Amino acid sequence: MIRLEEVTKRYGETLAVDRLSLEVGEGEVCVLIGPSGCGKTTTLRMINRLIDPTGGRILVGDRDVLSVSPEELRRGLGYAIQSVGLFPHLTVAENIVTVPKLLGWDRSRMARRVDELLTLVGLDAGAYASKYPRALSGGEAQRVGVARALAADPPVLLMDEPFGAVDPLNRERLQSEFARIQRELRKTVVFVTHDVDEAIRLADRIALMKDGRLRQYDTPEQLLDHPADKFVHDFMGADRALKRLGRVRVDAIMHSGIPTITDGTDAGAAAARASCAKERFAYLVDEEGRLVGWFDCRVLDRGGSAESAVTHVDWRQMAVRPDTSLKEALSRMLELGFRSIAVTDGTGRLLGDVALAGIEATLTEGDAHAGGGTDEEVGR
Amino acid sequence: MGDKPTDAVVYHRVDRVAATGALIALAGCVLLPLYVLRANRIVNGAPQPLGAGGPASWGLLLLAAVALVASLAAREPLRARIELICAGGMVGSLAWALGYAASHLTPDPASPARISIGLGAWLAVAGAAALWFAAVQARPPHAWRIGAVVGLATLWLCAGYWGGLGRLSIVLEYMRQADAFWAAVGTHLTLAGVSLGLAIVIGVPLGILSARVGWARAVVLGIVGIIQTVPSLALLGLLVVPLAALGLPGIGPLPAIIALTVYALLPIVRNTYLGLAQVDPAVVDAGLGMGMSRVQLLVRVEAPLALPLLIEGVRAAAVLIIGITAVVAFIGNGTLGVLVILGWGGQVDDLTLLGAVPMVLMAVTADSGLRALGRLITSPGIRMEAS
Repeated sequence: MIRLEEVTKRYGETLAVDRLSLEVGEGEVCVLIGPSGCGKTTTLRMINRLIDPTGGRILVGDRDVLSVSPEELRRGLGYAIQSVGLFPHLTVAENIVTVPKLLGWDRSRMARRVDELLTLVGLDAGAYASKYPRALSGGEAQRVGVARALAADPPVLLMDEPFGAVDPLNRERLQSEFARIQRELRKTVVFVTHDVDEAIRLADRIALMKDGRLRQYDTPEQLLDHPADKFVHDFMGADRALKRLGRVRVDAIMHSGIPTITDGTDAGAAAARASCAKERFAYLVDEEGRLVGWFDCRVLDRGGSAESAVTHVDWRQMAVRPDTSLKEALSRMLELGFRSIAVTDGTGRLLGDVALAGIEATLTEGDAHAGGGTDEEVGR
Repeated sequence: MGDKPTDAVVYHRVDRVAATGALIALAGCVLLPLYVLRANRIVNGAPQPLGAGGPASWGLLLLAAVALVASLAAREPLRARIELICAGGMVGSLAWALGYAASHLTPDPASPARISIGLGAWLAVAGAAALWFAAVQARPPHAWRIGAVVGLATLWLCAGYWGGLGRLSIVLEYMRQADAFWAAVGTHLTLAGVSLGLAIVIGVPLGILSARVGWARAVVLGIVGIIQTVPSLALLGLLVVPLAALGLPGIGPLPAIIALTVYALLPIVRNTYLGLAQVDPAVVDAGLGMGMSRVQLLVRVEAPLALPLLIEGVRAAAVLIIGITAVVAFIGNGTLGVLVILGWGGQVDDLTLLGAVPMVLMAVTADSGLRALGRLITSPGIRMEAS
């Protein structure tokens, strides 16, 4: 879908990008990563001709990008950037239809598209369409930015650190949602980041660059397990086993059918006694199955009342989503000091839980699978 | 300056600006004459007591006192509303007081005796203006502001018809000079308007150029900045040389328009440049990256974002030019400045006022009109205060 052939960009004496060749297959996510100044953003901006290459050829589809006018080319390539760059004087809806407007779509089609896209990126269309960008939080603005990039349904998306400016918790959610949207839409994506975890999580293939050169272009697993050289090895980091957890989603090892107690009912109290025979903790849910806290049996054993064994906590504070990465789930567990963590859907309904032991098992599996070859290769 | 609705702003402290304004107005009424009786249009006059203005003069005093009490003791949102009503009422009742004094002290149209507006009356107006601006800071509802202005205007118009305002010296002066007055107003507006239009036509492209081309910015902003520092009379004098070299007259409308235009350039060029320069580079990057051409980007994104600052520049230029247009009377243009100069020359203070007051009104109108236009065309997404 996208092919770079010996692409070079020279600024005076410095080579920003040096004979870079790269191919991104249709529907693939290619993440460009590397230390700052490695030429990753320059490479991305050459694809939509915000920067013109000094040498080499870039093909999108089967067309040389230099053979089309830059405006026409760019309207076919979705573009989202770290600083979002929403137009502050236009509403969310008007921002989203920027490209459709340039393409001359009619009003009703644009209105429908706004609804579709806001829903797709997880925002309530009715509430958000007429807001102005300054009323949005960083995460919301970023979602609108992605919706805007997708507006004219371009086959290709170019994203320059799109989640770089949001806080870690929001970034994790945006990544999950991006992964979900990508599963649905199967766009060809070129994604620039400096965050290795983000690259491992989202990439089909990672292009690791340094000083304008491509050092390795392969799947995240290959980069982790078979780094081409010491630079790649060091860049991917020492905690490779842990990083691999970034590729596994919570629902892959989620344990469903766990004991629950319905809060505040007699049946709940009975269930609590029954459950205490087996487990120390039980999750507390309301009538709709939403997580509201937990029940600690040890308090009963010590002669405490049933009320004092109950801890009420908002589900947002103590649960992860099914599409959260195991790495994130593990870090939440360590943060909270839990040996297992609840999994809920977006409305707080309890789906199951993930235990530390389950994650450990995944880790050792991964190590066994990876084999011992990596260090020898690094030594080469 | 938060996003909170303005109703949430509650002052419990003393409104010092309003209190000062009310005190100035009170002092003007009590310590200085509101009206001056002159035996004829040239001689110095004799101050008349406050009561010579009849009931309206006591109303004026009462309103100033109420405003003072309100500014010290009342709470928002009530305070701003009282202040608005008092400010409008004071200026309105002043019209009736002046009219009463004029028609009662100089009832005989055949007599050369005149009633002129005294210093106290100007202080009362200044005090009312201070009160007004203080009240507006608290953002009372627009309906109250408009109501106060309409009330004020109505009181003046009615005073003109029934309140004897026509016997006031400045009005008599106007009636003597009506044709010359309107010709002067016309010339003033034409010169100022043409120059402002030219300055916009020349200044906006120069501002865009400054925002786009680094070296042009230094040159353009440097030159218009230097011009701004030349005193207006000196500039008119300096223009004689190049115009003479071209065989063009050094007096009359041409040098006037040239001078006024170059004065108006600085605020317009600078604000166009600033307006474009303050556009977030990410917005430009996103616009271009999505396939806008440079022109589309300018028209759809940069212009709407820069327009509030541009209008602000035009506003500053308009106010500046209306003032300087008075000065070009010196090179043979029949602007309102002529009335001022004639008034000075003949020591007819009311003729001077007849030239000066309309200029003030023009400047105030241009100022508030362009402010309103600025608010109107500014997208709610980038307005300074959410409303």
